[in-house]
Amino acid sequence: MRAAAPAGGAAERDGPLCAGGTMWSRVAAWGGWAGGGGRLAARGCLAARLLTGPPRGRQAAGAVRQERRPRSKIQKLFSTSTVLSTKEDGLTASTDSTTKTASKSQEDSAETPKQKLLNIIGNMKVEVSSKKKFQQLKTHETKKQAMNQLEGLDSKSSTFPKTTEDIQRGKPLNRELVEAASAVASSLPLNKEQTESDLLAQLRRHEETTDKQKKGGTINIRNVISDMTIKRESPAQRGVRISNLISLELEEDGKRIRPERLAPQSSDSRRSLKVGRRLNIFTKTSPDTEKALKTESSPTIWDVEFAKEIAAVTEQPPRNGFEEMIQWTKEGILWEFPIDNEAGMEDDAAFHEHIFLEKHLEDFPKQGPIRHFMELVICGLSKNPYLTVKQKIEHIEWFRKYFEEKEELLQEI
Amino acid sequence: MAARRLGGSSWQQMSLLSRRWCLQAGSAGKREQNRYSSSSTTLEKTVENSEVTREEIVLPRRKTWDKLAVLQALASTVNRDPTAAHYMFQDDPFLMPRNTANSRLLSLSKESGRSAAKYIIKEFPQYFDKTTSEPNIPCLMPENLTPQIEGVSEAALKERIHLRRVKASVDLFDQLLQAGSPVSLETTNSLLDLLCFYGDGESAQEKQNEQKGDLEEPEENTSEQRSPKRQFQKSLNSSGFRWRENNNAERIFKIMPERNAHSYCTMIRGMVKHGAPAKAYDMYTDLLNERHKADVHTFNALIRAVPYLKEKFAERWALVKDFLNHMVQQEVQPNVLTFNAVLKTLRRCGGVGRGVSLSVIQEMTALDIEPSLATYEHLLHIFYRSVELQPSTIIAEILEEVEKRSFTPQDPDDANFFPTAMQACCDLKDIKLAYRLNKSMEKGDNWKFLDMDRLNAYWSKFFSLLCMMEQIDVVLKWYKEMTPSLFYPSTRSMFDLLQALDAANHLEVIPSVWEDIKQLGFSRKQDLLEELLSLMSREEHPEETQLAFAKCAEDIKAAHEQSGRDQAPLEWTGSALGHVVVLFSRAGRTQDAWNMMEHFQQINRIPTDQVMDEFLNCAKQTNCPDEAIKLVKLAASFGLPSTLKLKSRTEQEFELSEKQKNALESIQSDSDSSDSDSDSDRD
Repeated sequence: MRAAAPAGGAAERDGPLCAGGTMWSRVAAWGGWAGGGGRLAARGCLAARLLTGPPRGRQAAGAVRQERRPRSKIQKLFSTSTVLSTKEDGLTASTDSTTKTASKSQEDSAETPKQKLLNIIGNMKVEVSSKKKFQQLKTHETKKQAMNQLEGLDSKSSTFPKTTEDIQRGKPLNRELVEAASAVASSLPLNKEQTESDLLAQLRRHEETTDKQKKGGTINIRNVISDMTIKRESPAQRGVRISNLISLELEEDGKRIRPERLAPQSSDSRRSLKVGRRLNIFTKTSPDTEKALKTESSPTIWDVEFAKEIAAVTEQPPRNGFEEMIQWTKEGILWEFPIDNEAGMEDDAAFHEHIFLEKHLEDFPKQGPIRHFMELVICGLSKNPYLTVKQKIEHIEWFRKYFEEKEELLQEI
Repeated sequence: MAARRLGGSSWQQMSLLSRRWCLQAGSAGKREQNRYSSSSTTLEKTVENSEVTREEIVLPRRKTWDKLAVLQALASTVNRDPTAAHYMFQDDPFLMPRNTANSRLLSLSKESGRSAAKYIIKEFPQYFDKTTSEPNIPCLMPENLTPQIEGVSEAALKERIHLRRVKASVDLFDQLLQAGSPVSLETTNSLLDLLCFYGDGESAQEKQNEQKGDLEEPEENTSEQRSPKRQFQKSLNSSGFRWRENNNAERIFKIMPERNAHSYCTMIRGMVKHGAPAKAYDMYTDLLNERHKADVHTFNALIRAVPYLKEKFAERWALVKDFLNHMVQQEVQPNVLTFNAVLKTLRRCGGVGRGVSLSVIQEMTALDIEPSLATYEHLLHIFYRSVELQPSTIIAEILEEVEKRSFTPQDPDDANFFPTAMQACCDLKDIKLAYRLNKSMEKGDNWKFLDMDRLNAYWSKFFSLLCMMEQIDVVLKWYKEMTPSLFYPSTRSMFDLLQALDAANHLEVIPSVWEDIKQLGFSRKQDLLEELLSLMSREEHPEETQLAFAKCAEDIKAAHEQSGRDQAPLEWTGSALGHVVVLFSRAGRTQDAWNMMEHFQQINRIPTDQVMDEFLNCAKQTNCPDEAIKLVKLAASFGLPSTLKLKSRTEQEFELSEKQKNALESIQSDSDSSDSDSDSDRD
């Protein structure tokens, strides 16, 4: 069984169809090990059907099922609001009465091998800790892959031992269920494969729901143990599994401190930044209110100094001469580039305003000595770099006023 | 006149021309031209318009260039020179630092020179009254820091607060109170700000005394200076002065006729900053009793103080949660710093921290608060520092996030991210992660987060990881690339390198490594020398290598013999001496080897049999019977049990003259009697 894990990994890489085959045969083998004779038959049959069944649609459905399973399982493990979501699922699922009975009927198969499982678990607990080193050495990728697969298996199998209480339920009829599903699918005019996979997905969801509700109710060591047994394939993964259970436990009541000694190592290996539940303390506010809150008085010394501190974090000494020049330019020590001989001149006028001053002569006579004089004046002004445009215009204005004042006098002459 | 007319018309022509050009050239060329111009946005708009309508073209009256554009473009063309030291040190070749200590010293002295100059300018502004530069350069001129407003008034107090004159402000405040003129709440609050920020007037001045022997103003501390100094001051800040009972801040706070939320908040922040968390918590309870609301900075400070308030991990987390809930009640929106503070506290919450930290991250995503580098740093610390390591995926995910984004500094702790992450990679022994991390560090402006010290820490971690995990030629390539332009290896790094060389069986590189060791100033590190010598003398090598090794041995010998100006000469150890003798012997340098042999006597150590055998072989090869006899004499004088063996070997293997034979005969060994002492003496 352990050897099957890497093989399965390889198969999955080859393609979903092929992987489906491997996986199902493995599931079947597991079923045999778990002791459910009836199940073995059912599963094996199903596997066989899936592998050999002529309608391609069915095979595809199997593949889809196989593929979708790990994802949904992971989602379950990490979903932020585990209990709530499962309950909702449960409600929706219970409307479908046939599926419900069917899924219930699946649940009792683990009753018989329980003693065996407990025995095996006793040994495996030790293994978990001893395999830590081994687990560490494993590379990330292979592990992830293996994990996905195992999860795929687990999600299926873990449901059974947990629901050992229900003994009165009927025999598991998984195969019938699938058959029924495919029958329904074929009877419908719609896309057959799609319908079937949808139906199967619904069934799976249902299983998970029951699984979760069990978990949510009481968490006792038996559940933990029975869940661990299912991780038969790879002892390294078993630690992960336990830790997941434990972290679930922790999530359900945050105050309980995780029993670190049990599996302190593996506890983090399945954690991720993306999933998990939030604190649920704050609520998001609209940007308007944020803005309203932000309008404050002038910055205090705290703000000023904090800004300085932050700026200092990335303030590094220059790495080359140019960077040093940048720094000097910022400090105002260096003449600015590109070299500009107007630097430091506050007057914001273009050069033509400095040079072409004829437009200011419109009020002067069009010809005559005054005109001539004024043209000489603006010629001089246009060459003067020390005056601003405003000053030049004022200068011309002065002459205009002067000649206006003297106009009478000039007329006399 | 005609010329002028022409001029005018030509200007018009020009503008027409340029307009046409604008139309023809289209957007591409234009955009290229404007890439570095600060007015490019408006220009781009016009360009876009021209594409659409082809009618309205607004020529900019003048194109203003960003003053840094040219320099930035030029700076981007300069790459790091792996053979040169940091630009900061490219000053006087004689002063070029060769190791960490020197580079630190040099950067510190440069910085202190600068501060000394600043101090002089500040202290004696009267001597700097000439404004010679045109345009004026304000940053080179003394700032006017003397208060302009005389007399006792609130305006004067405000000015003193603005100039950050702690003591003067407090005095003036007291005078105002005595005069009976009330000070407004706002001014008192800013005075409290000042007092709380600097801890207290007196302590602020003490600090100044410590630093510069200067009784003047306490302003302009932290952050203005560059890295090394800053570090120093930071440590000073955190440990230097504590919040004192009934200091001026508390006194003023108590006599305030009315207090608002700001007064409480600034007191809390000051108390947390200056190490009085319990008082801060009490102050917070007072604030609640007065039905005020705290601000986000105050909550951040309080959350940071939690580890000092509670002992148990669970209690700490409960208190943090309390604060967060209070924030919701008081309608305070958290910012990234709040969550960084939470995570920083969770760093000190052990297993609880690990359980909760990811929920904190989830909360951040739910609130659309982008994590800063400090957030990730805290996470890494929580998951990889405290407990035994596991190949968790957290670090990979964090790296993914970091690769995706560019970062601006938001938290003073941001700078720690890269060293911490490299440490985690190193602990995980994951070279791939380290390469990824390094790549994202070099991306964009991320390198700016590493100041000198952190740069050294980061690269030495990276280097030891390389030594551990990589092929030797890759290691050596990195080594060439990194030193001395990026960091100066520590002795630890050199050990790692030697071990990598040993593991890869590349011992012939040792002589060049020894050169570097000398450069780095480690030639007097006893343990490093021992390691080097034992590696070199462990096996026999081809002759060329042996000769190079002998040269190293000579250097090491010189290092032992020469005493620096103020250093005592390095003490020989027995094993080091033995290694040196072996190295000389293998290179056929009999005389040098014998000189070393004589050292054994001086330091009262006993050479091992292997050393003496090697020496005898060497003497035989170079046909020096005299040295062989001397060796036998030496052994006899130590009373070694191997004397007889050596004696007989000498007799058999060498062609001895009559005189030499006599000399050999005359060596009367006491070896028969002395064996136990010599054994116990050994090493």
